[in-house]
Amino acid sequence: MKQRARFSRTVLVGGAALALVVSLSGCGGGSDAAGDDAIHVLVYGDAANKVEKELVATFNKTSEVKVVLDTIPGADYQAKLQTIIRSKQAPDVFFNWGGGSIKPFVDAGLLLPLDPFVAKNPDLKAKFLPSVFNSAVVDGKSYGIPMRGTQPVLLFNNGEVLRKAGVQPPKTWDELLEAVEALKADGVTPIALGGGDRWPTLMWFEYLYDRIAGPGLFQKALDGDKSAWASPDSRKALGKIRELVDAGAFGTNYDSVKFTDQGSPTLLAAGKAGFELMGSWEYSTQQDAHPEFAKSDLGYGAFPAVEGGKGNRDNLVGNTNNFYSVLKKTKHPDAVAEFLKLMYSDQFVKAQLGIGNLPTTTNTEQFLDTAASPKFAKLQYDMVENAPAFQLSWDQAYPQSAATAMYRALQQFFNGSTDENTFIEAMQALPTS
Amino acid sequence: MTRTAIPRKNNGTVRKATPSRYGAGRPGLLWAAPAAVFFGLFAIIPLIMVAVLSFTAWDGLSDPEFVGLANWRTLLDDPLMAKSLWLSVLITALGVIVQTALSILLGVWAAGHQRNRAVLSAIYVVPLLLSIAAVSVLWRALLDPNLGVPAQVPWLFGDGNLFGTQSSAIAVLVFVSTWQFTPLHTLIYQGAARAVPPVLYQAAEIDGAGRVRQFFHVTLPQLRNAIITSTILMVVGGLTTFDTVLILTQGGPGSDTTISAYYMYQKAFKSFDYGSASAIALLLVLVSTLISLIVARLSGYDKMRSTMEGL
Repeated sequence: MKQRARFSRTVLVGGAALALVVSLSGCGGGSDAAGDDAIHVLVYGDAANKVEKELVATFNKTSEVKVVLDTIPGADYQAKLQTIIRSKQAPDVFFNWGGGSIKPFVDAGLLLPLDPFVAKNPDLKAKFLPSVFNSAVVDGKSYGIPMRGTQPVLLFNNGEVLRKAGVQPPKTWDELLEAVEALKADGVTPIALGGGDRWPTLMWFEYLYDRIAGPGLFQKALDGDKSAWASPDSRKALGKIRELVDAGAFGTNYDSVKFTDQGSPTLLAAGKAGFELMGSWEYSTQQDAHPEFAKSDLGYGAFPAVEGGKGNRDNLVGNTNNFYSVLKKTKHPDAVAEFLKLMYSDQFVKAQLGIGNLPTTTNTEQFLDTAASPKFAKLQYDMVENAPAFQLSWDQAYPQSAATAMYRALQQFFNGSTDENTFIEAMQALPTS
Repeated sequence: MTRTAIPRKNNGTVRKATPSRYGAGRPGLLWAAPAAVFFGLFAIIPLIMVAVLSFTAWDGLSDPEFVGLANWRTLLDDPLMAKSLWLSVLITALGVIVQTALSILLGVWAAGHQRNRAVLSAIYVVPLLLSIAAVSVLWRALLDPNLGVPAQVPWLFGDGNLFGTQSSAIAVLVFVSTWQFTPLHTLIYQGAARAVPPVLYQAAEIDGAGRVRQFFHVTLPQLRNAIITSTILMVVGGLTTFDTVLILTQGGPGSDTTISAYYMYQKAFKSFDYGSASAIALLLVLVSTLISLIVARLSGYDKMRSTMEGL
């Protein structure tokens, strides 16, 4: 009897342990099993997911292979993506920024070249603006289909503050410097800057390098020619940045201000600052947090021209777009190709415009009237369409491994704790591939 | 497993028959097994894997590639590594000094018989109940130069550029950790101060010692073990500080608050250089162990004398 009881207890405990193991592996197996008849699409988790959910629902209505939408919110999207991409939880399709952000995945042989998709259905390429489509081309092959919208960086302003100081939105560098003086005299911070986040600071470098040296210099540096950073044009651009900072354009506490916690947008909306250089999402940010201001006094325009510079005043910098890339290991390439067709559908374009995004499909123009702000959408669309060059943000164009050192160099040069030689050395030390 | 084997075994155990000098209920090795298994699984094995990784180049995507001592060599030449270690030690030391002074005073006070003491004691433990992340977000908002407290008291904060200079950013980090963890150490000191036998104070009073002399000659020496415990907790906590830096300064301005733990995170999850990050991790283990040993040696803690009767 005793032996018997003991035996059954062992069985019970062992069985429980086994059940635990099975159920644990069942968790992994569950999503695996789903992976057999479904496509997992991983996107950055934010308000724009609304549109993605809509599209997935549309797709699932007619498709036998269903799409499952997974989201990762927050600034750690890239880190988490890179952690799971080789695991069983890896998605079939994932959201990215094109350029350097997907290069490591391409190098590791994880991504599916999309050219065969395009060969079967030329619209996958023809329905998108070429400059945008091409920013997800790596080593001559396409690895991304544009999704969401384009995000050029614009110089936003507070109309009321400018009026009070008697300032017009600047068309040239000199006008910008004059505006800075006038706004300072009026007792406001001329330009709001979320230096604590660092990427807003980067935008000033991107535009000044473009205006002074033209888009070629950065491309040269990115292609591995590090002497570009030490060129006279590079030094000239750094000199202009120094000039602007030293003129007090950003006040003195910009490194303690962030964009991501609404710090700098609030400065602009509350009339404590005249300008803010920001991605086009500034508009929806203000519309969300300060709707009255967005409606009445929020102004926007192109970055000023720099006299004697080589860059066209119509050149843009920013995020050309977001992209969907496909993993090689997907079991349903045909269904994925079908899903990607939705990215140029009328439904997609209207839904994106409705939440303030500006898709880069060729049919976008006919739906501009349905945008959250048709005027802002139209101006943005014209700018993107007419831009001779659209420079992808440096931190996205470079591989991820360069970002930390790049931010460090930017912040230290900008706030004056290092000189231009240190900056140039730091940029030359960045990994380019 | 025959029937006869069992009684023989019982008879054979000599120890159980004679009471050991350690007392009857002394835990055997078996008691440590669950802890040992977990420690092995979640500390030792990962540590070995990290050690192996530190000799490879790995971005998390392609296969790890063995590179020998390359990571270690670059790390030793890396001025940022030395700077980050120095910053870790500096922030830890500042934290220990400020928190120890504050928590001894608060703890001794809270051990007394004043009115409302219980209520106040309950209130000051509140920061301890909040998560570090929440506390950091809270202080980040409160210290915003334009929308927070500094804008209201410019005579104290100047232009409010608290996160934009090295000294003020470090001050904020130390302040936030102090704000959160002083209650914990206060509790430790309160408990220790309550355990001081009242006869010692009565004797001191008879000898004519005032409150200050009582504090320095009775209370403080009696708190010795509490000081060691609390200091070791502070040192370990200080060297592994991470959350506050991640949320408050992100290692900035520049690299001015990039402590080693954060530098490791940057290397691993921002730069995807898991090889170098693993080397930093190992280095941190070595340095922390070294500092703990030094603290233990200086304090005499290594002798592990027990002051409990009978042990």
